[in-house]
Amino acid sequence: MSIVADENTRVVIQGGPAGGNAARRMAEFSYLIKKPFNVRAFVFPPDAGKTVDIPYGSETLVLPIFVTVQEAVKAYPDINTSLVYIAPNRALESAMEALKSDKINLVSMITEGVTEKDAKILAHEAKRLGKVYNGPSSIGIFSAGKCRLGVVGGSYENLILSKLYRPGSFGVITKSGGLLNEIIWICSQFADGVTTAVGIGGDAYPGTDYVSYLEMFENDPETRAVVIVGEMGGNLEERAAEWYGAKKRRIKLLAVVSGFCQEVLPKGMKFGHAGAKEGTRGEGSARNKSESLKKAGAIVPQTFGALGPAIKQTYEELLAKGVIKPAKEISAEQLPKWPKSIDEAIKNGEVMVQPLFKSTICDDRGDEPVYGGYAASDLINKGYDIPHVIAMLWTKRLISDQEAELIKRIIMLSADHGPCVSGALATILAACADIPMAQAVASGITMIGPRFGGAVTDAGRWFKFAVESRMNVEEFLAYMKTNVGPVPGIGHRVKSIHNPDKRVKELVGFAKSLGRPLPHLEFALEVEKITTTKKENLILNVDGTIAVILLDLGFPVESLNGFFILARTIGLIGHWIDQKQQGARLIRLHPYLARYATEPKQEVPPIEKSVEV
Amino acid sequence: MAKVLEGPGMSLLIKWGMKVPNHVVVTSVEQLYHLASANAWLNDKRLVAKAHEAIGGRFKLGLVKVDLDLKGAEKAVKEILGHKVGTMTISQVIISEMIHHEVEYYLAVKSTREGADVLMANFGGIEVESRWNDIKRMFVEIGKSPSVEELEELARTAGFKADLAGQVAQFARKLYECYDREDGQYLEINPLSVTEDGELIALDMVTMLDADARFRHPDWNFTFASEFGRPYTEDEQEIMEIDSRIKGSVKFIEIPGGSIALLPAGGGASVYYADAIVAQGGKIANYAEYSGDPPDWAVEALTERVCSLPDIKHVIVGGAIANFTNVKKTFAGIIAGFRNVRLKGKLKDVHIWVRRGGPYEKEGLAAMRALEQEGFKIHVYDRHTPLTDVVDYALKEK
Repeated sequence: MSIVADENTRVVIQGGPAGGNAARRMAEFSYLIKKPFNVRAFVFPPDAGKTVDIPYGSETLVLPIFVTVQEAVKAYPDINTSLVYIAPNRALESAMEALKSDKINLVSMITEGVTEKDAKILAHEAKRLGKVYNGPSSIGIFSAGKCRLGVVGGSYENLILSKLYRPGSFGVITKSGGLLNEIIWICSQFADGVTTAVGIGGDAYPGTDYVSYLEMFENDPETRAVVIVGEMGGNLEERAAEWYGAKKRRIKLLAVVSGFCQEVLPKGMKFGHAGAKEGTRGEGSARNKSESLKKAGAIVPQTFGALGPAIKQTYEELLAKGVIKPAKEISAEQLPKWPKSIDEAIKNGEVMVQPLFKSTICDDRGDEPVYGGYAASDLINKGYDIPHVIAMLWTKRLISDQEAELIKRIIMLSADHGPCVSGALATILAACADIPMAQAVASGITMIGPRFGGAVTDAGRWFKFAVESRMNVEEFLAYMKTNVGPVPGIGHRVKSIHNPDKRVKELVGFAKSLGRPLPHLEFALEVEKITTTKKENLILNVDGTIAVILLDLGFPVESLNGFFILARTIGLIGHWIDQKQQGARLIRLHPYLARYATEPKQEVPPIEKSVEV
Repeated sequence: MAKVLEGPGMSLLIKWGMKVPNHVVVTSVEQLYHLASANAWLNDKRLVAKAHEAIGGRFKLGLVKVDLDLKGAEKAVKEILGHKVGTMTISQVIISEMIHHEVEYYLAVKSTREGADVLMANFGGIEVESRWNDIKRMFVEIGKSPSVEELEELARTAGFKADLAGQVAQFARKLYECYDREDGQYLEINPLSVTEDGELIALDMVTMLDADARFRHPDWNFTFASEFGRPYTEDEQEIMEIDSRIKGSVKFIEIPGGSIALLPAGGGASVYYADAIVAQGGKIANYAEYSGDPPDWAVEALTERVCSLPDIKHVIVGGAIANFTNVKKTFAGIIAGFRNVRLKGKLKDVHIWVRRGGPYEKEGLAAMRALEQEGFKIHVYDRHTPLTDVVDYALKEK
């Protein structure tokens, strides 16, 4: 058996995130004892209608959130307990709502900082209704092997270490949450563990006091002894002593009281819990409480440290008398293990994972990005530049200064080409429609394709094909004519042999000055020699030039358009900023710029009815 | 309980219709001049000047001056302001009208578990202590409110005659109202007296309110005073300030002259650590506590204050087996604090004693143990060592 909470306890949690956390801890316990989860629902008006996910082993339980306790109880008529995690300013009305529900007979309040007045009102009301109001500031209630209410009991590992998966013979009542857990642990090490452990909260006026719980323990045959952890202040320990001394009690009582230090400390010094205050002599002092309990026949060790051995002695005496039978131990293997998170398992090297994809260029798992094995800061400090990073991320190669210079020039020459080309126009249209930068620039980039800026990759592909297949110019042109069409990278709308593209001249000149083999460039220039004899404007254009130079630098064909996209993004961002700064207004074409070639206006016929066959 | 100083305490009584002596709180002599030009009583009446701070034994310290005229009050303000008591400097003086009185009564409302007690006596002042058992008491259940008739009955039992009983009942009714509506814990008027015009007047009072109720009293424009006879130190105030804005809590009170510093977890366990030190004949240098899984930076700030206490020999980093406080994270805060203060030359020759359990205890304790390699004199114990045994170990390490 147990008191207040058992296997039939079904819970509604009133509260938000703190309540959710408690529920997760409670689900761990339900899982440990292989019982269904004992929480049914949440009540939290701000999140009503949403749900809360609670891991239960490797499964996930989904719990509803209601606006009122009444709704929750209507949906789950077996709810008989409420845990209150509502902030102090609404704690009174929340707990009152639970107390007023016919179904609920235990309300445990975890909220700290509840006003004394509100706590007193709730205690009064609970008493009037014959219900239990536990707290405020309670860590929770734990009936070993049966029911966990709140975070009391700590981690999953601690539940096992403290043998909370099966009942023992000791009841525990404390104000402090940490010490409740400590005593549970002590009872599991020095005796056979606990029946029920109750945190009544450290406030001045706990809703339910030691005496009420002692009475319940007295009537619980499985509980043979009760451990009380008292504190200076108030008179609840004295009342417990009176109760214990009033007549022969079945249960043994062990108690410690803190606050002896107050005898030597400045008067009025406030320690620990809100309820731990006042009095160095007379009722309320640690000494008075301790003496009262001793006089009443309780076992009162001098220090907290002596409590463990005292519990052990009591246990052994009860065992010798046959009052307690040795607990049936459950071996660790019989207990379910709480599944590890994947992160934890990987960290411990316990699982092998099939990755979704492989990445070979950049590692961000340290304190800075590492490009192809080189730390970004190291690259900076050693004088490397943006083109080096581009080459590293695109070809995984640390390029030379000359190569970097070429890339830099390619980017500089391709950064923009005025507002009228497709990409810039699209970005400008978007900017004028007040589209944010990322989307407006992206709409410019989407224009890059076969007719605008996208010829670099295509040109690269065919020139590479030619060089790799060792074709001569004639063979190449013949092949292209039969199988492909115009040679990508050759030809310009306005430039010609007499009106050369200055950008091409620049790049070719510089590339040649480097004194390195340029097979693709040379081949392309041979091609140009032939094509320009056929038509003046069939020159090697800037796309073609960039393509062959990059091929000669060892860039893969797939990467070539990247240079244009990268370079032109600079210009597109510029156009967007430019329009923004001018406060440009929405662009709408004048109708005369569109030729309307639609059907003449006519009457709309009625909708044709389908005919039944 | 939270104590309210005289000035705001009197304002609350006035708010609920009770008469108190004329009074002003000043922070400079100039302020007193200005107030004197608007308040005739400051010029016409005899005055009392007192340091308006949470200091015990103000009379003995010469911080109360009686039977003054305005000139005398000015002189008193000059003397009292800036006066140093321990580490604090007095910054406020309360000047009140000295009421000539012949009779002294006693009236109080005290919160109890089931409701409140109204306490009444037809004697007052210092007589109260010796005649405590003669004070009449009436219990008021929570949710109920005493009627004037009931209070008049109490007044008669307390020995008040005829009209006076009615008057005292009316006054007590107001005091109860004040207690009830202002989230009082303890309101005491001693002495309650009668003016020359025959009106009841509260001459001196103790006001204790529930600090947790501040959320429903937007008009509480005062801060609460310390209750141990000295104002809070700067470090204490800084920790209180942090405490007020974090999840969980950090607490810190200095106790000058001690050599064992406390840095334990938990409102319950921390007191057992203090007890263990005192029981072993040690002297604690402070009280401290962190709980409710506070952020690591708050624990770090607390650690720095604790480790900066003068002349400490040991730091006790104790704690029970936590329910939900993350031991690894809170210990990370403590470790950061240790390192910070050591850079300032502290913690030399100081032994650190650790005992703890709870979520991520292995990781937290391992991190503490590793501090040994950094040269800290640290001794780390886990859940298998009883709670306060580290205190015994520390005090044997002479």
